[in-house]
Amino acid sequence: MSEVILRLKQDPVVTLEAEVITPDKFAEMSHEQICESIVYHGKRQLRLDEFFEVEGEKSEHIVLHGDMHRVRHLGRAMTMGSLTAHGDVGMHLGAHMKGGEICIRGNAGDWVGAEMSGGKIHVRGEAGQQVGAAYRGSLAGMKGGIIIVDGSAGIEVGMRMKRGTIFIRGSVKDFAGLQMIGGTIILGEGAEIRTGAWMQRGTIISLKPIDLMPTFGESGVMNPTFISVYSNLLKPHGCELPNDQNLGCYRRFSGDRSVPGKGEILIWQEHALN
Amino acid sequence: MGGKVTCTLGEVKNRADFIVYWGGNPAECHPRHFTKYTLMQKSKFLPRGRKDRTVVLVDIRETKSAKAADHFLQVRPGKDFELLTILRALIKDQKVSEEQVAETGLSLEVLKDLIEKMKAAKFGVMFFGMGLSMTRGKHMNAAALLTLAAEMNAFTKFVAMPMRGHGNVTGADVIMRWQTGYPFGISLNRGYPRYNPGEFSTVDVLVRGDTDCAFIIGADPGATMPKPAIDHLAKVPTIVLDPHVTHTSRLSRVHITTAPAGIAAPGTGYRMDEVPMPLKPALQSPYPSDEEVVRRIRETIALRPDWMTNQPQMIEAQI
Repeated sequence: MSEVILRLKQDPVVTLEAEVITPDKFAEMSHEQICESIVYHGKRQLRLDEFFEVEGEKSEHIVLHGDMHRVRHLGRAMTMGSLTAHGDVGMHLGAHMKGGEICIRGNAGDWVGAEMSGGKIHVRGEAGQQVGAAYRGSLAGMKGGIIIVDGSAGIEVGMRMKRGTIFIRGSVKDFAGLQMIGGTIILGEGAEIRTGAWMQRGTIISLKPIDLMPTFGESGVMNPTFISVYSNLLKPHGCELPNDQNLGCYRRFSGDRSVPGKGEILIWQEHALN
Repeated sequence: MGGKVTCTLGEVKNRADFIVYWGGNPAECHPRHFTKYTLMQKSKFLPRGRKDRTVVLVDIRETKSAKAADHFLQVRPGKDFELLTILRALIKDQKVSEEQVAETGLSLEVLKDLIEKMKAAKFGVMFFGMGLSMTRGKHMNAAALLTLAAEMNAFTKFVAMPMRGHGNVTGADVIMRWQTGYPFGISLNRGYPRYNPGEFSTVDVLVRGDTDCAFIIGADPGATMPKPAIDHLAKVPTIVLDPHVTHTSRLSRVHITTAPAGIAAPGTGYRMDEVPMPLKPALQSPYPSDEEVVRRIRETIALRPDWMTNQPQMIEAQI
């Protein structure tokens, strides 16, 4: 399998906007075309090879090396192929993405998979704020696909998301699922405050106890079948959801009544050991 | 999110019979606000002045403003967003239990009474201060109050207004808005304005160290911003335009003393309700105005050869 390998050779002083680094573009480009494609270092338009050593051509598989925490818009609006980064990456990773796969062996910045509609993003490290969220002024965030973050994430995870799945293995900060319209957020290590604030619909599953907004009402305990279905679907991605009724159950909360919304928050609760 | 439902202070003065101050202390921070616009003024619609108006203060502690208010609601610190969200639920007759309300430090009875008064008002106005917008939750706390004000319009006229301070901050927002379409947090590096607070807002850019120069006009971030931002300002070439020597000037490379606006330099100031006010200088100053300094810098830059050979390209699929 041929690959395009980019190694960061010079740290950008200010942000480097490199939306050209997507499998869709590189699949069609020769080595020379990749080298001369334009990136924005602040306001200056520079060649890609001023910052990266480029290896390979015409491939929909991109491998990046180096600390790229100032490199933004990687894999923007990609529809196919793969992008793998060994090192930190900057904001807007896989924003507007429609397909393909992104794997980050490092931390990612804010707006990971913002307004994406398909494909898969796996961040092995930590993610910033607004994972899978809607941009300011936009009505809908993530519309499909899956985002998996192994570490923790910041505020407003899945803000106004409409469809798709976000799995955060670590903890998240405030406002997870803010104004959520649909889709599923799974919180492995719980969240800080205001989870599910103003949600209309959608599901937030927390495997650890979390503080809830006062506008949510408890509506029973359950072991819903769809959790098992989700668990089977997520198993290839390395996530499993407990749903053994001998071990515990999900407490269901509905809200947010201020909207008023029909969203649900499911909190896993193990049975007390007798 | 609701956007801003607002009006001018003239309308408040003439019509507002229900006034809420949230997270602010106008008696000490905006001392003329009560007498000029909200409480004392008599008008055609409120002929008895103060007697025709109901004033509610919501704050975490009893300040001097509480004496001027008819009702004082002491909210538990950091529970403003929860309280506003409960109010949003209650105006729609949604059920919220006594225990759930109790975590905000208030009782259901008090909130129901407040909502009854809000709905009965002819013209309600909510002013919010930094106690709301600068505590945990930040922009979402302000968004909660603005949304509540917007939703109250299903019952009666209701508006909201931020209690701005620090000179002409409203002016900066207004000018940016009509020039670019956005009030703050704007990047022009691609040749067209892009708005994304958190990415392009000054404090975040400085904290991350994503800039290699800083040009500061009439502000003192060196006194108010977090430590990493201040450290970065000291590291990069910082240019400050200010009538005084500020904390920021001390860590800057260049400080240009300018004439104080409104005292020795003419211009336009914007009131907190975004009404422009001409400023007539009373004194002469040996220093140039901010406007003159910026204009001269711009003229000098214009003389240099254009280094932007290509037009910047728009980001694809940008919304």
